[in-house]
Amino acid sequence: MTAPAGSARLRRLRKAYFGSPLSALMTLLSAAILGFILWKLLDWGLIHATFDASGTQETCAAKGGACWSVIATRWRVILFGIYPYEEQWRPALACLVVAGVIVLSCLPRMWSFGKLALTWTIGTIVFYTLMRGGILGLASVNEQQWGGLPLTLFVFVATGIIGMPLAIGLALLRRSDYPVIARVSGWIIDTIRSLPLLSILFTCAIVLPFMLPGFLIGEKLYRVVFGAALFFAAYQAEIIRGGFQGIPKGQEEAAKALGLSYWQRMGRIVLPQAFRLALPATINQFVIAFMETSLIVVVGFMELLAAGNTAFKTGEWKFAYAEVYVFIAAIYFAFVFGLSRYGAYLEARMNVGHRKD
Amino acid sequence: MDLTAPAIELTDLDKFYGTFHALKGISLTVAKGEKVVVCGPSGSGKSTMIRCINQLEEHDGGTIRVFGTTLDDNVGLIDEIRREVGMVFQQFNLFPHMTVLENCTLAPMLVRKTSRADAEATAMRYLEKVRIPDQAQKYPGQLSGGQQQRVAIARALCMQPEILLFDEPTSALDPEMIAEVLDVMVTLAQEGMTMICVTHEMGFARKVADRVVFMDKGEIIEEAPPEDFFGNPKSDRTRLFLSQVLGH
Repeated sequence: MTAPAGSARLRRLRKAYFGSPLSALMTLLSAAILGFILWKLLDWGLIHATFDASGTQETCAAKGGACWSVIATRWRVILFGIYPYEEQWRPALACLVVAGVIVLSCLPRMWSFGKLALTWTIGTIVFYTLMRGGILGLASVNEQQWGGLPLTLFVFVATGIIGMPLAIGLALLRRSDYPVIARVSGWIIDTIRSLPLLSILFTCAIVLPFMLPGFLIGEKLYRVVFGAALFFAAYQAEIIRGGFQGIPKGQEEAAKALGLSYWQRMGRIVLPQAFRLALPATINQFVIAFMETSLIVVVGFMELLAAGNTAFKTGEWKFAYAEVYVFIAAIYFAFVFGLSRYGAYLEARMNVGHRKD
Repeated sequence: MDLTAPAIELTDLDKFYGTFHALKGISLTVAKGEKVVVCGPSGSGKSTMIRCINQLEEHDGGTIRVFGTTLDDNVGLIDEIRREVGMVFQQFNLFPHMTVLENCTLAPMLVRKTSRADAEATAMRYLEKVRIPDQAQKYPGQLSGGQQQRVAIARALCMQPEILLFDEPTSALDPEMIAEVLDVMVTLAQEGMTMICVTHEMGFARKVADRVVFMDKGEIIEEAPPEDFFGNPKSDRTRLFLSQVLGH
């Protein structure tokens, strides 16, 4: 006998949420609290909110809800910072390019070294040309004037692109057969991990120019990105090492017995399995790296959060900080939520053929 | 590499784990096409010995010659030897992130630079030989232990090695799956493959072995054709071991 699926589900729900008087009480209580919060948010954010750009403190206060007028009038400062106003189509386009390249490289059919390298090289050139200008008739815009979302995205993506190969290199060195190499690599990782990111950023931005020969100093932005990448690499190297430890010893032995060289064993057998095991922690590390881009404000860069702060620093919008923060939070949420959903998709995809019993 | 030389020549092989003397001056010669079964109590050094042949373990003394080539510290030479010496493990060690077919084509494509089409054709031929061509697109985790071990044998064969080493290939299997793996090994033996098998399957030893080697405490105690080994063992230790293995 097979029960209809619908009623079975209903029975399971009733058992889970109304199984005992206490459980029923908790369910009703939680629902009431949730409903109340949701209602308040809707009331503030939608029902009594002002949306048109002409709203002012007085008209918004009269309606009693959120004053989205601040976003409508100041969104370009939030998104692009102090980038020259007439040229802001360029950072907008640059953001789309970055988003496009990220989405492309997330597609499984793009997963070959050649395709990814080509996509990223083209993406980087287009992004840099758009942002920096100075050729093709585009006005030159100094890195100091970059700001808002494109700056945040640039720092995040560059941290990942530079940091991940560094992390793989450090992790491989740490499991080297030669004790000296393994130990030195371990020291490097542990040293970087025991320094606060802020101090690394300060060192790269301010101290490094005094120590390096002139031709090595480069633009401050790139030094800061390198510092962030180093920090990312130290943590990610340990995550990968955790992945290594989950791989049975026999895997590498089987690869050796088949005659695979060191790099073939690493590239085809060890690293793919290590990344599969380390995937949840890796996604976590990327999320953290995205959040930490907001720290570059301390060395004088106006990334998304800092640009948002300036949006309500003018007299007439001083009251509207909550609206600006909600707007910025929504942008962060969109990226990070997308990232974690992609992580879940990857996990499901990699679990093909892995029965958990 | 000289295919007319003995397939494997071990001379005074020594191996230490720290202060533990795992192999105490082992000498053994295996001719091309010969089938040798190695048995002995656990900890006797049988696995260590065959793992030295493809250098999964580094030996500390003595010489190893494979088809006349002496193994030394030259990494390139070790890779060359590994191409000709296949190995089947107790724990199968299939690559879980690849399909059965990919497991079989990986090494021929990477190491022998075979084209994908050729490698897949060869793989399918050997998968048919081990009687699981229909599982080619599955992942190892979807197969039974016996099926996985047969894939592991096919994977080793795809490199078309001159020698196959078996390291207790049936010890991790449920009893009802042992026969399907042994059948494949018997077929290979009958086709003339040079084989060294570490195993406790005495029935298999009787059936296909040219020679049975008995090891204990890092030494070869006795070496004889199966009829002599089982019918007229010379050493007390061999007799004790046989009574324990065959006794019930």
